[in-house]
Amino acid sequence: MSLIFAFNSCEKDKDIDNQKPVIDLSIQNAFPVSCDTLYFGETFILKVKFTDNVQLGSYSIDIHNNFDHHSHSTEVTECNLDPIKEPVNPFTLIQDYDIPVGLQEYETNLSITIPSSNSNGSFDEGDYHFFISLTDREGWSAQKGLSIKILHR
Amino acid sequence: MLIVGMFYLYALSYGQNKYTLNGRVVDENKQALTGATIYVSPAAKGAFTDANGNYIIKDIVAGIYKIEISFIGYNSIVDTIDITGNKIYNAHLSESAINLQEVVVTDNYVETRKKEESLNIEIVNDDYLKQNMGGSFMNSLERLPGVTTIDIGSGQSKPVIRGLGFNRVVVVENDIKHEAQQWGADHGLEIDQYAIDNVEIIKGPASLMYGSDAMGGVIDMKNRKLPADSTYGGSVDLSGKTNNDFVGTSVSLYGRKRWFFADFRATFLDYEDYKVPTDSVDIYSYRAPLYQNHLRNTAGKEQNLHLTMGIIKTKFQSKFYISNVYSKNGFFANAHGLEPRNVDTELHDKSSRDINYPYQQVNHFKAINTSQYNFGKAKIETDFGFQRNFRQEWSQYVSHGYMPATYPTSLNANPDLELQFDKYVYSGNLKFSYKINDKAQFNSGINSDYQDNRIGGRGFIIPAFKQLNLGGYILGKYASSVKSIIQIGVRYDFGDIRAQAYSDWFSSPVVSNNDTTYQYLQRAGNINGNFSNISWSLGYNYNAEKWSFKANMGKSFRMPTAKELAANGVNYHNFSYEVGDAGLSPEVSYQLDAGLEYNSSDFAIGATPFLNYFTNYIYLNPSSEHNRLYGNGNQVFYYTQCEVLRYGAEIHAHYQLLKPLQVGIIGEYVYSEQQSGEKKGFTLPFSPPASAILNVKYQKQKIKFIENAYWSVDYKLTAPQNNIVPPEEKTDGYQVINVGLGGDVKLKNQKISVSLQVQNLLNTKYFNHTSYYRLINVPEPGRNLIMNISIPFSGKIKRK
Repeated sequence: MSLIFAFNSCEKDKDIDNQKPVIDLSIQNAFPVSCDTLYFGETFILKVKFTDNVQLGSYSIDIHNNFDHHSHSTEVTECNLDPIKEPVNPFTLIQDYDIPVGLQEYETNLSITIPSSNSNGSFDEGDYHFFISLTDREGWSAQKGLSIKILHR
Repeated sequence: MLIVGMFYLYALSYGQNKYTLNGRVVDENKQALTGATIYVSPAAKGAFTDANGNYIIKDIVAGIYKIEISFIGYNSIVDTIDITGNKIYNAHLSESAINLQEVVVTDNYVETRKKEESLNIEIVNDDYLKQNMGGSFMNSLERLPGVTTIDIGSGQSKPVIRGLGFNRVVVVENDIKHEAQQWGADHGLEIDQYAIDNVEIIKGPASLMYGSDAMGGVIDMKNRKLPADSTYGGSVDLSGKTNNDFVGTSVSLYGRKRWFFADFRATFLDYEDYKVPTDSVDIYSYRAPLYQNHLRNTAGKEQNLHLTMGIIKTKFQSKFYISNVYSKNGFFANAHGLEPRNVDTELHDKSSRDINYPYQQVNHFKAINTSQYNFGKAKIETDFGFQRNFRQEWSQYVSHGYMPATYPTSLNANPDLELQFDKYVYSGNLKFSYKINDKAQFNSGINSDYQDNRIGGRGFIIPAFKQLNLGGYILGKYASSVKSIIQIGVRYDFGDIRAQAYSDWFSSPVVSNNDTTYQYLQRAGNINGNFSNISWSLGYNYNAEKWSFKANMGKSFRMPTAKELAANGVNYHNFSYEVGDAGLSPEVSYQLDAGLEYNSSDFAIGATPFLNYFTNYIYLNPSSEHNRLYGNGNQVFYYTQCEVLRYGAEIHAHYQLLKPLQVGIIGEYVYSEQQSGEKKGFTLPFSPPASAILNVKYQKQKIKFIENAYWSVDYKLTAPQNNIVPPEEKTDGYQVINVGLGGDVKLKNQKISVSLQVQNLLNTKYFNHTSYYRLINVPEPGRNLIMNISIPFSGKIKRK
């Protein structure tokens, strides 16, 4: 009838990772940063530094329109936004990326191509929101939201 | 108060002669009172008066006893009697002038319940709720040791007992399990706190009596008050709060003519955005400035109606409870959706009383019948219930994932309806109890319910599902000596859940072999699961003169919820993507509980430790992955199972310093640790930090023209919480002072009860680790003055 509880009080002292990873946009050549402009039909290189006290997990990029000014930047700088407008054929990109296993520090060197049109025609230019999400292996996370413009050249 | 009259003066020894006590109970006009209660302690013998007002209690051993005679609507008589031979004790009861809504059972109901229940329980009544009134029903109970809440905004909170909440706590109203959307953290309990006169909180595994989910404990609300024969009455309650300019009123009317009674209540509440002592809030990495300290768009309102009626006869009672609880309240506008949002401050800050997008509305309808039939030693009870919980979340349409930028009109739906849950629940219980003799009692019962859950709205988080639950239990109670009671029980449950497949209403790009095709993705497949479980409990109570001891060992369980089995979508409050697992097994937990208490006339101290082990706790594990097909690349959280060890204790003590002045302390502590799985070594989400309340209370029967006058000061100390899981933040400790005062005044013949509270007296800025808005760094409400005025009235219906 008796219950045996596997209870070991010494375990309490074991190290637990309770620190969030960090997205660093202050490195040299960091791109994009707040208020930067990207161009349709062109390729840009994502330059961001990720760090974590134990081990990095993965990251994702999300680009969506901010024509209604619903998003705001996590950065201190204010950018000039175009007037509010209705989206017709806005561009969307959602992508997740692995980070090699075992790293505490990682600098991205990722090339992303923004197409200029889809089957509905040419994409809307204007204010976009560039969202970066980063996790570490334990599931701690950090986010950055940037106000950018994507234009046709 | 706790120990009034608990003088255990024992008769000399065994082999004593046994005597008979009898008598007659009449009213002031010498009319026989039928159904009055006579209770003799510590012999623990009782009787009811018959049609002629006569009663008889046999086999009382010689000795000195306390006798208590009570009847609804009359002042009770408490006396000491010396039994040295057969004795006649007649009584005439006087009508209680003001409060005709007397409780049915004698005043030591609470004591008796505590002595007979082997789990640790707290019982409070409506006076307690008024004196400690918070923003919601659960807020008002939060002061109790071992009880905390998960709050969202100022008017919504969920119960947490010893760190367990959501589907691990069962809420029961009038014997029917309250079924809503317990799995979600973003809305409260659909319970009208003005309509409650008695709440029992069971701390510990109570699956035996309450079935699946009662792992952490139970909040059991029973309407125990009944009007006296040939009376009518009611009350008007007026409440106000300064922090969110809350205004509320609750009006009740009741009446009884012989065996029929009815009771009607209406409650209306309205409140503004609540104020926090800060100018801006950091939502993850986004800073949102606040206008005049108002937490933008957290205003709300509530409209509740209740009708109770029934038949009261000596051998048969049947009551109908019909209620509709409606609430509408806004979400903090900057922190709802796929990401922290910019809001139209001009629109939102124009008025602090309006409710803009995003908001939710919940309507909970209930129709319940409870009946009981008494056949001397046997009692049969039946409960039938129907509930409909209808909840909607509204927010401006924002495309996410690959939703079209504008909502297609061809879908013929309102694009702003984000989520909709529509739940129909049919419940039925049958209970049978049989008193074998003075020492042994047998109880058994069957519980059943059937749920039909439908979904709607543009978003998806859980699928539609149907669920059937069936359970049966037997419980034996045996008094092995005058002081000790042993109880043992076993229960079997069966559950069947069928979730319906769900596919997106929009297409998303799927890449395979370098080809991109647009597909309507299936979020959830058809799920067909059934679960069964045997739970049990073994308890012991020992009640000596000043000491009491209780111990309980039990196994409890919980069926996985539809969300845990089949979630596959964005949680708009956490900015997370949640994924269920159809292979989850029912959660099982073993718990050891104890309670030790010392009570003398001016001093009491008690401790209630527990040790708890889950073999397979269902945990929503934040992974390192991201989702690419919905939302905006959100972090993925997976439902997993792991072993969890928890332990903790509550303590309480009070000392009667002077006659009217009492000092006391209440403390609580819980430790939780995951023992296996990916988060081995981590705690559980929303773990309450250790806390203590130091209290001084002054209470006097009469101070000048104020009756039942009191004032009290609570100094609440809370430790920091450094044990966290992602995405939580460590929370600093804090100290808060709450004060309360009140009493009854009489204007001519009209009684008016007033209670005043100042919460957060010093307007301290602090964070509550278990607040839902803690994650986005919203501090707790600033100083809040709360006033409640209660005006009871009553009269007699003339007898013809």
